[in-house]
Amino acid sequence: MTALATIRDLTVTYRRDGSEVTALKGVNLDIVAGERLAIIGESGSGKSTLALAVAGLLPASARIEGHIDWFMPPTLGAKAPPSVLPDISPSRGEIGSSTVGSSPTASVIGESGDEGAISPLEGEMSGRTEGGAVERQPFHRSGVPLHGRDIGFVFQDPSASLDPVMTIGKQIAEVARTHLGLTWSQSYARAKSLLERVRLPDPDSALRAFPHQLSGGQKQRVAIAAAIAAGPKVLIADEATSALDTIVQAEIVALIRRLVTEDGMTLLFISHDIALAAELAERVAVFRHGQLVELGMTAQIVGAPAQPYTRALLNAHIGLDTRPLLDRAGLHA
Amino acid sequence: MSLLAVSNLTKRYRRGGKTIAAVDDVSFHVDPGETLALAGPSGSGKSTIARLVLRLIEPDDGRIEFESDDFLALRRAALRARRARLQMVFQDPLAAFNPRATVARVLDDPLRIHGIASRAERPRRIAALLERVGLTADLAPRAIHEISGGQRQRVAIARAIATKPSLIVLDEAVSALDVSVRGEILELLLDLQRQEKIAYLFISHDLGVIRSIAHRVILLDAGRVAENGDARTVIDAPQSAIGKALVAAAPRLNRAGP
Amino acid sequence: MSALRRFLRTPEAVAGAILLAVLIAMALSASLLFPGDPQAIAGPALLPPFQDWSLPLGTDRLGRDVLAELFHGARTSLAVGLAAAAAALVVGAVVGTLAGFAGGLVDEVLMRITDAFQTVPSFLLALAFVSVVGPSLGVVAIALGTWTGPARVARAEVLSIRERDYVAGARVIGMHPLAIAFREVLPNALPPVLAMSSVIVAAAILTEAALSFLGLGDPNRVTWGGMISEGRAVLRTAPFLSIVPGIALVLTVLGVYLAGEGIVETTAVRRGLS
Ligand SMILES: Nc1ncnc2c1ncn2[C@@H]1O[C@H](COP(=O)(O)OP(=O)(O)OP(=O)(O)O)[C@@H](O)[C@H]1O
Ligand SMILES: [Mg+2]
Repeated sequence: MTALATIRDLTVTYRRDGSEVTALKGVNLDIVAGERLAIIGESGSGKSTLALAVAGLLPASARIEGHIDWFMPPTLGAKAPPSVLPDISPSRGEIGSSTVGSSPTASVIGESGDEGAISPLEGEMSGRTEGGAVERQPFHRSGVPLHGRDIGFVFQDPSASLDPVMTIGKQIAEVARTHLGLTWSQSYARAKSLLERVRLPDPDSALRAFPHQLSGGQKQRVAIAAAIAAGPKVLIADEATSALDTIVQAEIVALIRRLVTEDGMTLLFISHDIALAAELAERVAVFRHGQLVELGMTAQIVGAPAQPYTRALLNAHIGLDTRPLLDRAGLHA
Repeated sequence: MSLLAVSNLTKRYRRGGKTIAAVDDVSFHVDPGETLALAGPSGSGKSTIARLVLRLIEPDDGRIEFESDDFLALRRAALRARRARLQMVFQDPLAAFNPRATVARVLDDPLRIHGIASRAERPRRIAALLERVGLTADLAPRAIHEISGGQRQRVAIARAIATKPSLIVLDEAVSALDVSVRGEILELLLDLQRQEKIAYLFISHDLGVIRSIAHRVILLDAGRVAENGDARTVIDAPQSAIGKALVAAAPRLNRAGP
Repeated sequence: MSALRRFLRTPEAVAGAILLAVLIAMALSASLLFPGDPQAIAGPALLPPFQDWSLPLGTDRLGRDVLAELFHGARTSLAVGLAAAAAALVVGAVVGTLAGFAGGLVDEVLMRITDAFQTVPSFLLALAFVSVVGPSLGVVAIALGTWTGPARVARAEVLSIRERDYVAGARVIGMHPLAIAFREVLPNALPPVLAMSSVIVAAAILTEAALSFLGLGDPNRVTWGGMISEGRAVLRTAPFLSIVPGIALVLTVLGVYLAGEGIVETTAVRRGLS
């Protein structure tokens, strides 16, 4: 098991009109290369902040403390990344990185035989003896994953992430061109094959279509195509299916699962829906009030949750086999 | 005698030169004190039916009978007066209130408009309404944007019951809420139904929730009724294609353990 | 509080606010510093500025105190400008709200009327109105040409607000359409309309000055436009008589504009953040 990234003592504070809101408090979490990890929590639990922090997309007004250390093999054939990272000065916390080759110890995370499940207890998690040497490594900006190239991000609202006045084809091609150094015609060819991969009907005409001409589900497919256009190692989907109806949601979830498996991507699936997350993910991290409450393999989280909050979330789920409230309320005639 | 009887309701929209029937020859009825759920994929016409039933938009065809009257024949003041009996709760409680409003004003409006309580009496009525939906009276002076999403949806329900309606239309009223809050709101709705015999037209895409609280369900597909019947019978063994697809797509939680 | 601080951080806004404060101080103190009729003879005619310290800016052709006239003129400019702008904003907001909210025929009729007013240059409209009704209704004359802008902006805003859930909610509880339009919709449509006020006030002040310059201002009041017009006859020999009120006019319009833009900017920043 190889860690792709280790998040240590991550605290994120937003400042707005003089007041401060702590969105994440001392989060410790390892992202395992190639896994499907779900981040679940209710509104305000900090799950989107975590997604943004991992992608390096936090706004400049956010104060970041702690580290995210990456262990990414160097990207070959890619253009040197322009700096699009948020302004993170070392004094405000650092996001460091090191390549796997340069630091063999870095890949060892957790005790051996520990099923990949990191103990949910905070005290144990912060006792990070293994990664210590790595964290003190100098700041390698070149190894920091680049949003778009190394990390694909799919947002909840596809209309917000797509440019309304640019054709679908151009939006996807641009990502490929920028990050892979392809020519425009190569990029368009790639865009077309991506639209085929996300199963958009009639990819040829879709290339020339504008976002408003597509349905919500189709737009989300396009957004996913754009997110994976540069062949990222990590795909982050932040409530990517929440705005869609259940049938389309199931299709998009199946699509994400297929793409991640085919390309060997690491998936970070952010959701408020524990059932949906459990269907897709191998591991689940439960967040509440900015803190990691519980982390474990999906079967363990769903079948034998250790924390009362996780149990409460599971009990609140109303599924097709849940005993109807009507029966309990005695209203069913 | 049903409370609401909708027959052959049709609403067409023109879009890009094409005419589409958002609601196509739909008939159903709601009995007093029962919950009828409307389910279907996005664009199947659920919200359009809600807006037609509430006379927020006018149908191209069909009849709506409410409390034994021809609801579509009501005009102006008569329609406004009858609205007291037919209320609505929206999906997004923040969008459903004037951004400048306070909790007190939101609840004061229906009481004032329908002459339910005198000016002097209203603060007490507002406090009682807040308590009825599980909130405290000290919330009254707060601005709508200052309270939590769950509290807001309770205020929306308090506003809907202020005029003692016989039917409340809920368009995805619990879909945007956190799951823990959602359970409490559903309990509140059931409690109100039991106490005040209110009927609900409950719109949702969540079959689990529908199966949990609705008596009957109508499955819509492209503006038409695809299937209808007892909520649990339909959801446990759907017959229509859309019913099968909706049930297959519902996320399942396998709690058997590792 | 923080909005004020942001406002104070923009140099243009501060400059505008200072100019405006000076103007208001002049208008308010005019009858204290220069009691009596500013149009009364105060000394010898055509006294140049900075000669006699009891008449620091000198006198005009009739021997009237230019400084006193300038102070009293500030009062007229400000009063007429603000009143005309307020009238334009109120009329525009009401017409725009009615048109946008009612839609259909009402919208069609109101917007055609707005078009009609907009096609005639606003100054010509004011000119025609004053020459028919007389100079005492100058405020109405100026407002006549400027309400169309606010009306269009209000209508556009109302059209988008009209579709929001809370308006449907107000209908569902049985609120009267007029109450919905003016109590629920209008207040939320106002910010972009009010954002136009600096331009409208500035334009109203200029129009007032132009009308007075043409001798169509209120003859019983001192106005800067009237002063410029007066000075025109002796432009070669005593240019200061036109230049002094001219500079006052430019600074005033600049001040109103800069301060107004500053306010819009700071409130926009705040809305953008939240
Ligand atoms: N004002 C309108 N103008 C044009 N078409 C409309 C309008 N309102 C709704 N429609 C169309 O009518 C159809 C039904 O829409 P409706 O909003 O009722 O669906 P819904 O079942 O509520 O969907 P969702 O689950 O996404 O809320 C859709 O095709 C929609 O595009
Ligand atoms: Mg809807």
